[in-house]
Parts: sequence; C-alpha cells; structure tokens
Amino acid sequence: MPVQKKIGLTALVPPELIFACRCSPFDVNNVIPGSKKYPRNKLCAWTAIWQEMLSKRELKLDSLIVVAGGDCHNALVDGQKVEMSGVPTHFFFYPFDGDHEYLESQLYKLVDFLGTMGSPEKPGEIKELKEIGKKIDKKRAQGKLSSGDVFRIMISFSDLMGDLDVFRKAISSLKEQKVEMNNRVALIGVPPIYHDFHDVAQSLHLQIVFDELPFEFLRHSGTDIHNIARDYCDYTFARPLDFRIRFLQKELEKRHVNGVIHYTQFACHHMLEDEIMRSKLDYPMLTIQGDLPGKTPEQIKLRLEAFREALDRT
Amino acid sequence: MIGLDVGSTAAKKVSIEDGEIKYQITGTHNWKDLITGIEGNDIISTGYFRNSAPHRASVTEITAAIYGVRHYFPDADVIVDIGGQDTKVIDVKRNNFIINDKCSAGTGAFLEFVANYFKIELKELGSFHSRAKRLPAINNTCAVFALSEMISQLVTGFTPEEVIAGMHYAFARRISFMIPDAQTLVLIGGTVKNKGMLSALEDILQTEILVPDEPQIVNALGALIYYR
Repeated sequence: MPVQKKIGLTALVPPELIFACRCSPFDVNNVIPGSKKYPRNKLCAWTAIWQEMLSKRELKLDSLIVVAGGDCHNALVDGQKVEMSGVPTHFFFYPFDGDHEYLESQLYKLVDFLGTMGSPEKPGEIKELKEIGKKIDKKRAQGKLSSGDVFRIMISFSDLMGDLDVFRKAISSLKEQKVEMNNRVALIGVPPIYHDFHDVAQSLHLQIVFDELPFEFLRHSGTDIHNIARDYCDYTFARPLDFRIRFLQKELEKRHVNGVIHYTQFACHHMLEDEIMRSKLDYPMLTIQGDLPGKTPEQIKLRLEAFREALDRT
Repeated sequence: MIGLDVGSTAAKKVSIEDGEIKYQITGTHNWKDLITGIEGNDIISTGYFRNSAPHRASVTEITAAIYGVRHYFPDADVIVDIGGQDTKVIDVKRNNFIINDKCSAGTGAFLEFVANYFKIELKELGSFHSRAKRLPAINNTCAVFALSEMISQLVTGFTPEEVIAGMHYAFARRISFMIPDAQTLVLIGGTVKNKGMLSALEDILQTEILVPDEPQIVNALGALIYYR
C-alpha cells in the first residue's frame, strides 16, 4: 500500500472525497485548543496558529485545502501565506446562493487537485458513520451521553480522525451515562478555542445539547460527487444569514433549548452577527468572545455562571 | 446576615437592621476587615472574590445587581454596572447581559487613568467637568490612545477642565454602544458617583438615568436580598 498523503483542511471540506482519493484528511484546527503558541501576526488565533505552524513546518502536511468561500477572510489570507511558504494549497469555494452545480464544479476541481478517486466506496462508508453520529447527537439531547464526550466525536467528523477504523473505535468507546439536564443550551457560532469548555459548562449545570458547527460536519454526506454537491450546498455557514437562522430556529426548537451561547473569536466577523442572532433567536443569549487557546478563563466562567443564574430565573 | 461584595477595586458590606440599610466600604485588599467577628454562615458573597470569602451562599454580580436595583427601582429594565475593571449591561426584561472587559476604555480604570494624569482625586473629575466651557472631541476608542489625544488637546489650548469633560464624553460614548433602549435605565457602581460622566451619558443617550443613593453598595445589598 503506498503511503497516504496527509491533506490539511481549514474548515468543512467533504472528507468523503479526500478518503475516496486515497488521502488522509487532517483538520488543522485539531492542534489549536491544546496549543501554547502566541502567533506573531494575528486577528483570530484559530487561523493564525495553523498558518504559523504550517508555514514553519511545525505541522507537516503534504498539502492544504483552504475553505475560502464559506469561511472567513482571515482563513483566505492565512491560507495564501501558507501557500507562499511553499505548501501546495488548494482554495475551495462554497456557493453563497446554494447553487449545487457550482459546488459540483468545485468538487471536481478538488478531485483534480487530490488525484483520482481510487476508492469510490469510501463516501458510502462515511455516510453510515454520519448516520451513527446523528444518533449520538440525539442521545446527548436525551441526556444519555455527556456533552463533552459527544462534542469531541462530533468535531472529529470534519476529518474522521484521518482513518475510518480509528474513528469507528473512538465512537464505540463512548459510554452512555445519565446526565441531569438542568439547562439545555445551544452553542452557536464557531467552536470555543478552550479545550475544556463543554466540561466546564456541564460542571456549572449548563448542558450543551447543540453544537452548531460540529453538527454541520456530520449533517452532510453523499455517495458520489453529484449527491455530495446537492447536500453540502446547504452548509449553513456558507449561506446567507437568514438561511442559517431559519435552520437554527428549527434545530433549537427540536432540542427544547432554554438558552443560547453565541461564541465568537476576538476580531471575528461572526461578532457582527451577534445583534442579528439576538433579535432573531427568541432565547436568553450569552455572547462570549475568546482569544487565545487553553483552559476556559475565569472571566468566561463568571459569564457562564451568571447565565445559569439567568436561566434559573426564567 | 450580611451581603459582602468584594470587587476588583473596592469591598462593600451591607446589612439591614430594623429596616435600615447599613453599609461599609473599603479597598479590596482590606476586605477581611469588613467581616471581623462575622461567621461565614452569615455571609452572602458576590463580586470577583466571592468564592475567596467565607460564605453561606454566593451569587454572581449580575444576579446581585438585579436584586439590589429592584430594591430601589422595581421597574428598572436596563442596569449598567460600571466597575473598576469591567462594565456590565444587564437587560432585565430580556434576561440578557453583556460584559465589556476586553478593553479598559469603558471601565472605571479609564477614568482613574485620567485622574492620575492630572494628579487629582477620582472624585474631583465631576467638578472639573462642570467648569468646562468648551468640549474637545476625543474620538479614540482605545484608553491609551485617548490619553495621547487628550494631551494633544491640551497642547492646542483646551483647559484641563475641558479635556476632562471631553474624556467623559469619550467614556460615555463607549458605554452607550452597549446599552439597549430602556424605559427605566439605572446606573450603579462606584464610577457613577462621577456627575460629569453621568451628564455626558444622559446627553448622549438623551434619556433620564436613575442612580441609587449609594450606587456602590447595590450588589452587596442584592446578594443579601437574593438569599433572603
């Protein structure tokens, strides 16, 4: 067996096609929450850290796929810096208007960049795993699995840990438990940069029953390029805000949430969406702006505790 | 039973004796003096150091502010708590709050900065403001750069009184961005004792602002009422 190429991803890129091209995907954001780096030139630490690590070859990958349309402009610029440092880089664009034919053309370009689809059965296998992922997500909302354990699996659906067998084992290691559901909370925006956020929230009696972006990672699938394009074109982060908000309203209602935490990064364009989210989502809302990775800071814990008290009052 | 608020710059103790509110205020570092002879079981704590102080129960400053303000103004729908290190805006009706602590431009520390520069007491800022005849525009949203802008205004001929008034407007403008529309807006926290800042904020928001008699003890009182 030839050595698989390791392909970095900056956000959601259909891992179905990367596995189908006999490559191993690696979500470059995986290394951020545990990182102790202070990037030199940063707006958002999520993109600045992977940019610096890739440019300095502290993170070794064969190539990088940058989600340019459908992610932030920080990623677009930092991706170009990585390309200028000599890492083969491909820029992947989602359509703002959901045009699946456009997305299909983008997927063909992606396959050209990766090589050929030598394992066309892989998308089908991943689809099955994503069905399991949806059941796990449902069990968490029913209080049968811990919020943190499920988050760690859900967030890994972006690259399926680079190996479907390893990922299957991680899923099967999940242990059911009875979680007391005091306050059912949805976490929208980008995932927190703090590695213990879900566990901290749970210790403060806030149970996260919806993770917006990780849910997108497992929500889309397809068995061939045609189907994948038709499903992934509804990736909410790439679409207009009203599309995303309609989707959120439905999901939050379904999960009977009591409150919403809107997490964004310092200097993140998602912060501009905060007032819209507050006006359109009819729930008590806590906004948190993170900056550098690490443990959840005490000031953020204060906000979480105060939010819990606010929910207790409703 | 007492309410104890140990904040970032001051500590406050409140008790209610025969229906009358009694209080004491000291610097944060002396907070232990406030509870000499008082059992932890008789303390309801709040503030940054709420978990460091002995307590029967603790509550965050946000919840304490709501209970404390209701004692003075039962119809309050928005509370702005301007503390030494952060500013909290609590939308009581919508059960929401936002906190500014990424930047010192909207906190008490900013005005301390200004007072230190002019070598005057913090409490003198209000009377300086009242003597201003003109108002220089200070546009910087960063406390440090606002200070350099303040110096530039002094160089161009504005008096210290006028520059201080300009700084109050810069401060108030910064906070005004955080405040939603309100029927009854209440300000609390030590910084609110500064009449110059208060009038600047009233002018910018074009609304009446209510302030309790002793705005610095509201959270300690709120913690006590919350538990009762």
